[in-house]
Amino acid sequence: MSGVLISIVIATLVAGTPLVYAALGELVTEKSGVLNLGVEGMMLTGAIVGFITATATQSIWLGVLAAMLAGALLATLFAVIAITLVANQVAAGLALAVFGTGLSSLLGKGYTGTSLVLPPSPVAATVSQVAWVGQYLTQLHPLVYLSWLLFAAISYFLYRTKAGLVLRAVGESPASAHAIGYPVVRIRYLATMFGGAMAGVAGAYLATIYTAIWTEGMTAGRGWIALALVVFATWRPARVLLGAYLFGGVTTAQLFGQVAGIPVPPEVMSSLPFLATIIVLVLITRNRTLVRMNAPPALGQPFHANG
Amino acid sequence: MSSLTRRNVLQLSAAGLATTVAGTSNLLAQDGVLKVGVVHQGPISDTGWEFFQARAWRAMEAAFPGKVKATVLDNVLQAQDAERVFRQLATQGHKLLMGTTFSQYATLRKLAPTLGVNCECCAGIETTTNLGVFEARSYEGTYLTGIAAGKMTKTNVLGWVGAFPVPQVIYNLNGFVLGARSVNPDVVCKVVWANSWSDPAKEKDAVNALVSQNADIVSGSPNTPVQGLAAEEKGIWAIGSTGDFSAYVKNKQLTSFELDWSAAYIEAARHTLAGDWKPTARWRGLGPDGFVKMTTQNPALPKEVLAMMSEKEQAIVAGKFHPFTGPIKDQSGKLRVAAGAPIADTDLRGIDWLVEGTQGSLPRG
Repeated sequence: MSGVLISIVIATLVAGTPLVYAALGELVTEKSGVLNLGVEGMMLTGAIVGFITATATQSIWLGVLAAMLAGALLATLFAVIAITLVANQVAAGLALAVFGTGLSSLLGKGYTGTSLVLPPSPVAATVSQVAWVGQYLTQLHPLVYLSWLLFAAISYFLYRTKAGLVLRAVGESPASAHAIGYPVVRIRYLATMFGGAMAGVAGAYLATIYTAIWTEGMTAGRGWIALALVVFATWRPARVLLGAYLFGGVTTAQLFGQVAGIPVPPEVMSSLPFLATIIVLVLITRNRTLVRMNAPPALGQPFHANG
Repeated sequence: MSSLTRRNVLQLSAAGLATTVAGTSNLLAQDGVLKVGVVHQGPISDTGWEFFQARAWRAMEAAFPGKVKATVLDNVLQAQDAERVFRQLATQGHKLLMGTTFSQYATLRKLAPTLGVNCECCAGIETTTNLGVFEARSYEGTYLTGIAAGKMTKTNVLGWVGAFPVPQVIYNLNGFVLGARSVNPDVVCKVVWANSWSDPAKEKDAVNALVSQNADIVSGSPNTPVQGLAAEEKGIWAIGSTGDFSAYVKNKQLTSFELDWSAAYIEAARHTLAGDWKPTARWRGLGPDGFVKMTTQNPALPKEVLAMMSEKEQAIVAGKFHPFTGPIKDQSGKLRVAAGAPIADTDLRGIDWLVEGTQGSLPRG
């Protein structure tokens, strides 16, 4: 029984990690007041770029790096349209999502259905020797541990550093921040690029580590889920983490449940992750004042430097 | 940044579009060459459903060199787009249209009587004016793989990752279990429904879930090597139904079969060329003209298992044996197929029950 439990825990962490990366990145972007709906496209582009790079260089880390760059690049394109050209952020984001999806299909033309086979890492071999927990630790890729570091770093950055305060100020009232002299446009650009880079990492994780295979549209809507998570978690990093693991956990648990023979119709099982996440997060956000305190008031509104 | 304003960008792009020479070069009708329109729903790749359709139309072109030319569109996701594409192909001189998937069936059923060209739909259900259908008795293939699984399992627990509980998948699953139980009556098969034709992450999780419940052989209806790779990672056997993934799953693919639609495409082209095409419904499995072909067998399979599979294959091809010959009970113990007689085709097409020995449920309704 405990073996199954450990399998479920590990599967939860693995399933939740892409959501953690994408949602935390989107959190930073939205805290600066930019609503980037193109996360799904950036995840997919990051996935294929990461996959191609990892196949060519036989190194997952180089693939992840390339995916970060690809995600950031696509996010920069979005930033040019939404921030510099002051277009409607929702429309631009949706367009980028579709564009990113199509771009990933184009790039992935020769790679559909192929799989990535890499030699086992010597580091993993050493870690697995550690008594008791070693065999479980190695079942999780270092990116999972890095996602926890990312969560800690983002929480610290947003709430304990001046730079984070400035970012939040930009999201709250860009006109005031601009009046004080902060470079609103540059800050929003950086925040958007960061969000895109994280979405790219999430995609690369999916394609090179989670399943080591590329198929079109393989994110299967996880980008949209990450977007929803940020909102439902009222823009607080800890709740984003909770929501991501809850979603990933219920997704894998329902598969285990089906196998174990729990007599619930499979469609109900499939919808459980969405239901559970919505219910939990709605319960958390019962306090409307708290929600208003955390939501960036200038979210999605274009910023005109000259009035 | 003053020059990079939204107004300027829009003006530039409008000018750019206006000066681009827009023109689609329509395929000129060449006399004597039969143009065949093929529409794929997904992307053509190296594995899976679309790969086999692509292989089939390539075989068709190769069988009539110089006389048959296929116009192929892939990634036509929605049925509405498919309708537009089929109409367009029909007006551009394509005398034979091939639909490659069940979701195009409703579209073709509506269009075929009006278009005036020959239409065929893979995985369609019934013929109508100008529309022929063909489908594979893939349960014959899964029955044989079931024999291999039943013999090779050590835990007596098999696993099946299903996409959607539609009749085609259900009778494949039932065939698998019947084959396994025919050689090993104690075997059970656990079923997980992924609720997606293609979600590699979910398929991998499903395989892991099955392994945690002691399954040591997994099968399913995979379009990608993910299930096989996940099985290999956990050290268990994988079976490739609808595809031979041994190029990716180097060691742990036990056996596999593939769908070979060439016969359908070639016959459709031949009859259209000869002018005697009629709408027919073909539902074929194993055999030289059939749509199901057994492929690589793992060297680990012992000779007597191979002999069993081969013997049953020949019996099926000769028409002497039907995998769904009674008595067959469903999960609740109810007798669904009477002793001695094979199941009726109509019952198979609409099958909505799982055979005894399967653990897992079907959604209601």
